[in-house]
Amino acid sequence: MILDVSGLTKRFKNQFWAKPHYAVKDVSFRVKEGSITGFLGANGSGKTTSIKNILGLIYPDAGEITYFGGKPLSNEVKKRIGFLPERPYFYEYLTGTEFLQFYADLSGLKRGPNLRKRIQTLLEKVELPHAADRPLRKYSKGMLQRIGIAQALIHDPDFVILDEPMTGLDPDGRRTVAEIIKDCRKRGATIFFSSHLLHDVETLCDELVILVKGEVKYSGSTQDLLKRAQAGYRLVSIKDSSPQSERVVDQHHLQKRMRDLLDSQAQIIEVIAERPSLEELFIEMSRKGSQEQVEKASN
Amino acid sequence: MRPLIAICTNTFREIIRDRILYSLIIFCLLLIGFSVAVGQLSFAEQLRISTNFGLAGIQFSACALAVFVGSSLVFREIEKQTVLTLLSRAIGRATFLVGKFLGLISVVAVVVLGLSLVFLLIFLLLGGKIHENLFYALWGIFLEASILLAMTLLFGMFTKPILAVSFSIAFFLIGHWLDSLEFFASQSPSGLFATFGKSAVKLLPNLERLNWRDHVIYLDHIGLDQVLWGTVYASSWSILFLSLAAIVFARKDFV
Repeated sequence: MILDVSGLTKRFKNQFWAKPHYAVKDVSFRVKEGSITGFLGANGSGKTTSIKNILGLIYPDAGEITYFGGKPLSNEVKKRIGFLPERPYFYEYLTGTEFLQFYADLSGLKRGPNLRKRIQTLLEKVELPHAADRPLRKYSKGMLQRIGIAQALIHDPDFVILDEPMTGLDPDGRRTVAEIIKDCRKRGATIFFSSHLLHDVETLCDELVILVKGEVKYSGSTQDLLKRAQAGYRLVSIKDSSPQSERVVDQHHLQKRMRDLLDSQAQIIEVIAERPSLEELFIEMSRKGSQEQVEKASN
Repeated sequence: MRPLIAICTNTFREIIRDRILYSLIIFCLLLIGFSVAVGQLSFAEQLRISTNFGLAGIQFSACALAVFVGSSLVFREIEKQTVLTLLSRAIGRATFLVGKFLGLISVVAVVVLGLSLVFLLIFLLLGGKIHENLFYALWGIFLEASILLAMTLLFGMFTKPILAVSFSIAFFLIGHWLDSLEFFASQSPSGLFATFGKSAVKLLPNLERLNWRDHVIYLDHIGLDQVLWGTVYASSWSILFLSLAAIVFARKDFV
């Protein structure tokens, strides 16, 4: 396992005298080597808090986090991790090249022709070679996001953590980021990224961790989740020259409804097997999570 | 070592590209220029007045740079969240803090050096003679700024920049009046005030120990041991403040 999070709990106080509230509670999940794992959750569900805990930027109240097969966080471990924070803000007085050079220095990379080539390659990968000598203050939001991804990849990390890498990007920018993520996996890296853009997550991720109100509601493969979800059928028929379309929840109901339609002289045109999208599943989980919380509070 | 140098260099570059630095330099240059004008008003003490003003201007610039820029040095990184990408790298939090300190103190050194050259030129034009005391005085100013910077970084760990600046200015003033405070405390009938005075002398850096500016005027002898002792004294306080800041910083959550 690249990452093993077990029982992670973090509480915050809004004010000194206020009662602390749970940002994340008993969060446990694993990230498999070589996977693209999506970290899903609504705003305020605890995704960024979990990521900051993983990177040692905040300290958990309880729980254990290990990396690369059981190692605790250390400088050696951090050398193998690349990170892009949510809404990245960088030193605006640096140019694109200076900025990547700075992060290369921080990662202990040796200066020289190889590094210059690496910086050039990364700038091309994030489609910013034209802005290499421009100060970051003149970059658009999408450009900042892309140069941020480049800094996360400068030291060729084994494990890449991206916090909301697609937020605020136009479709073209999202496509570029998706290509970069796929490319990272192709060269053997493991990617863990948080998002609430469910379509992108569904197409990119083979593993999912779903967080609702600070608690893990699902952790496992994307396909398993979609298969596990209750499938339905769309039944299209014509009766008295007027077309009808209806949804039935399972095979038993489908057969019964088909018999009824045939008995009533209707003509069955089409039966389509339907699976709920990740978006529908996610909304369902979030709704259930909120209900549970309301029930807990009222008890 | 490379990450430390990278943070130090980047901090240096950040401040060099900041407008506040140039405001301070212009202010100091105006003060040095003003010192020449004020000196003209005096019949016999022109050099003395100009020297006083010039050294005071350099001291003000160095200390103001340390306090005003130092107060937001780490705060700005946390506020703008640049600290997240830095500390997610293989960099210790203490290394980050020391890198920031070294970056700003390097700027202070360059500013003191640059302003000193301007000051020396005027000093020589007014008929002053170069004496080692002049260099000791400038070194003292730099040491004082280093203590103030480390102290401001420590205050910046607890509070917002405006309060960190206020605390540092208060400690700067107390640091220069500690000898007087000790004297008044020893003369005071109040036991509480006497204890307070004695404690303050022991617990706070005495910045007057690094003030060798009067010696430039009167050419009193300053022993090298006095300068070395001052250097050790200032370095110890700086290291102490930086270590305390590092302890607080190590426990911080970057929410």
